[in-house]
Amino acid sequence: MTFLQPMVLFGLPLLLAPVIIHLLNRMRHRPKPWAAMMFLVSATRNSASHARLRQFLILLCRVLAVAMLVLFVARPLAGGWLGWALSPAPDAILILLDRSASMETQVGATTKRQQALQLLAGAAREFEETSHLVLIDSATRAPQEIARAATLNELSLTQATDTGADIPALLRTAFDWLIENRAGTAEIWLASDGQRSNWLPEDPRWKSVIAQLGGLSRRVRVRLLAMNEPSEANASISIKELLRRPRGDKSELQFVLDLQRNRSSAAPIPVTLTLNGERSESEVTLEGQSLRWRRTVDLGTRREGGWGSFTLPADANEHDNTAWFVYGADTPLLATVVSGDPRVARCLEFAAASRNAQPAELISPAAFSDANLEGRSLLVWQAPLPDGMDADQVQTFAASGGVVIFFPPGRPDAGQFNGMGWGSVQDAENAEGFRILRWGEDEGPLARSDEHISLPLGQTAFQRRQPMAGQKETLAAFDDGTAFLARQSLGKGEIYFCASLPDPAWSGLGDGPVLVPMLQRMLQAGARRVQQVSSAACGELSPADQSLPWISVDSTGHKDIRTQAGVYRAGGRLLAVNRPQAEDDPEVVDTEEARKLFGDLPVQTLQERHFETGQLQGEIWRLFLFAMLLFLIVEGILILPARQAASRAGSPPPRKTPRPEEQLA
Amino acid sequence: MHLTLLARSPMEGTVSGHHKSPHRGSSVEFAEYRNYVPGDDIRRLDWRVFARTDRFYLKEYEAETNLRCYFVLDCSGSMKFGGAAGRKLDYARRLAATLAYITVHQGDAVGLVCCGGKTFFEIPPRRNPSHLKLIFETLEKAEPRGPTGLIAALHDLAEKVRRRALVIVISDFFCELEPLLNCFQHLRFQKHDLALFQLLDPAEMNFQFDRPVRFVDLESSMSVVTEPSSIRDEYLRQLGMFLEQLREGCHEFGTDYRRVITHESYERVAADFLVERALVRK
Repeated sequence: MTFLQPMVLFGLPLLLAPVIIHLLNRMRHRPKPWAAMMFLVSATRNSASHARLRQFLILLCRVLAVAMLVLFVARPLAGGWLGWALSPAPDAILILLDRSASMETQVGATTKRQQALQLLAGAAREFEETSHLVLIDSATRAPQEIARAATLNELSLTQATDTGADIPALLRTAFDWLIENRAGTAEIWLASDGQRSNWLPEDPRWKSVIAQLGGLSRRVRVRLLAMNEPSEANASISIKELLRRPRGDKSELQFVLDLQRNRSSAAPIPVTLTLNGERSESEVTLEGQSLRWRRTVDLGTRREGGWGSFTLPADANEHDNTAWFVYGADTPLLATVVSGDPRVARCLEFAAASRNAQPAELISPAAFSDANLEGRSLLVWQAPLPDGMDADQVQTFAASGGVVIFFPPGRPDAGQFNGMGWGSVQDAENAEGFRILRWGEDEGPLARSDEHISLPLGQTAFQRRQPMAGQKETLAAFDDGTAFLARQSLGKGEIYFCASLPDPAWSGLGDGPVLVPMLQRMLQAGARRVQQVSSAACGELSPADQSLPWISVDSTGHKDIRTQAGVYRAGGRLLAVNRPQAEDDPEVVDTEEARKLFGDLPVQTLQERHFETGQLQGEIWRLFLFAMLLFLIVEGILILPARQAASRAGSPPPRKTPRPEEQLA
Repeated sequence: MHLTLLARSPMEGTVSGHHKSPHRGSSVEFAEYRNYVPGDDIRRLDWRVFARTDRFYLKEYEAETNLRCYFVLDCSGSMKFGGAAGRKLDYARRLAATLAYITVHQGDAVGLVCCGGKTFFEIPPRRNPSHLKLIFETLEKAEPRGPTGLIAALHDLAEKVRRRALVIVISDFFCELEPLLNCFQHLRFQKHDLALFQLLDPAEMNFQFDRPVRFVDLESSMSVVTEPSSIRDEYLRQLGMFLEQLREGCHEFGTDYRRVITHESYERVAADFLVERALVRK
């Protein structure tokens, strides 16, 4: 809180005036000889506690009324405590602005970002002559000094973006600026909608950056402008997965989309698909507030790639209504088989063959370190589990969206991969062998075919197996409960473990009806690794990508790939840029939790919402005026009986009101 | 028509007067017939009744005697209190003098007892008008001082006065209620006619002050500093309760109780008192 007339605060000792007057008044009492002393003593004894309490309350009201009067005359400009107000203007004010896509949510006629800018500009205007005003926005995190607070709303660094925000990183940037510029006293004004995915309250960086800010020689204070008001009805759409799948001589796009809305409604949501310039509309009904929607779009016989978007109707936030996508040309999906057993490898090579019947690439385990996995979507590993550099390469492959399946090495292996390892080889005790009775037929590599025909896994005999050990999701199990096929998620991709080999000595997998569809499905699932390189989250482009000359494809105007979502082209490469999926996170950090994140730093929360006047400060004096009036009214009520008595003493009593002695008589 | 002070109950006087006596006498006021018993004075036989009924009857008449009236004046410190209407003791002096004058001039005897903390005057009742001068001089000399000695004085009077008398007490009665009612009962037990005048100042009844006041007790050195507005309701409640209990106590013992606010005219108070007693007599 600051004051336009801080000199008036020297009048605060006037608070003692009511106390002094009260004491003087008590000393000024008149002696009065009295006869009916017995009743007076008794009445004083009975009324003493109430009288003292009332006297105390009257005195308190008077003191507080004077305090409110002094503060009111001093023209306070913002809420806060007195100590804050008495301090001089800081040397630097760092304005940290959350420019994430969620800040574009409209509350009233303007967005949260615009409202925050309006309030910040109004507040900063009082300090532009005395303090350095530095703007740090969440999209670029580039500090920029501003001369006039009024220009805050016009800067390109304060305009809307489709990016996310990283509040701990923003604070870290502020700290770096304070160190580099050797600023004296400083205040950090942070305007944000408190989205949990931006604030990352569990992030360990919070502790370090707050400790660093607290360790500065001059105390840093934080003002938090929490724009966490609930918005009007809003829906958002984002693309979770996109696969281009061949269908005979045609192909199709398989989308997995996430739809969310902040208020439940029975009304369907119209979704407009724009694909290579053609628009089509469909309606989606959400039962609750979110839906994972699978949508397949037929591409016909087109072989080349393209781009498009899914769009929702206009609502409270325009920046979460569009999901852009780019799909690649219909290129064969490729697999790599790593095996040291030629007989098994041959089976696997052909089972994982590409669509044009080209067998998978075969390399030996020893040569894997030199293997080029570029363009591969499936890695079949039939050898002792990889370790060292090989393990890192396999993990990177899976994390980027690829699928890895491990087959038993056929001999004891003490190695571990992602917490999984192989047990000892087991032979069936009878000629019937091991049997598989149940497996996941709804989804996964062993699911039914599109014609709802089950894979003949139950008819496949297994004479030998090598069970896997570790945390896993079992997709198929032998009749004794031992897992046949298990899955683990790793990054964007998956890794599988299969307990038997396509070898006549091991099983009938080599016959093909199970192995081929299983590996082909894995090949398709791994296609995302190849295709997803053409999409990126806004604000998270790699330095290499940022250096390319990107041109907007979806718009004729100029768009900045660093801050605006859309489809861009650089040379022959298309790139779909969408807001980060975390921006759809509806959870917010409440004010109290936000305060705790700042630890011992003094935090003032500015929750004032005087948007109609566009002022963050200047309204608080009304509170003091109202408070003063309130205290005076309360004081008036408390002393009312005495005043009534005084007025009766000075004037004749009303005729209809009996005098006390008449009442007694 | 002259106003006279009449006793409500029979009095035991020494000479003939205006007041009923507990004894039958030879006045002109017929009382009753009664059967002759041996030893009765045959001069009082009603021969006419004997002629009609052939039986002896005695005709009895009301005996009327004079009144002995004691004025008991409270001269404690609390009687010094007074506002615009004057001191309570001055009011009591005027009221007592007025009633004494009337009493003496109707041929009754008047006595005076002034009781204060350290002052105690007692003048025995006399009928002669020159006695009135002594009464007035004593009233003039009486000064309010010290704690009240009313209760002891009334008990003393009840024991000392053997014959029935009219006792008129003028006081504010600001003392312990229970002993006070006991001494009223004592007087009534001795067959005395008891009349009480309670003098109260308007300021005591209203208790209106607009600033803190140090109240100093008139009968002791005690003082209380208080904000009157904060205790006014409680004070009035306590006072009202006391007055009501006093009234009920007096009613219980058949005492003539009157509450007098000192801004009222003492002549009117005295006149009302005399008229009401005369009406009760009839």
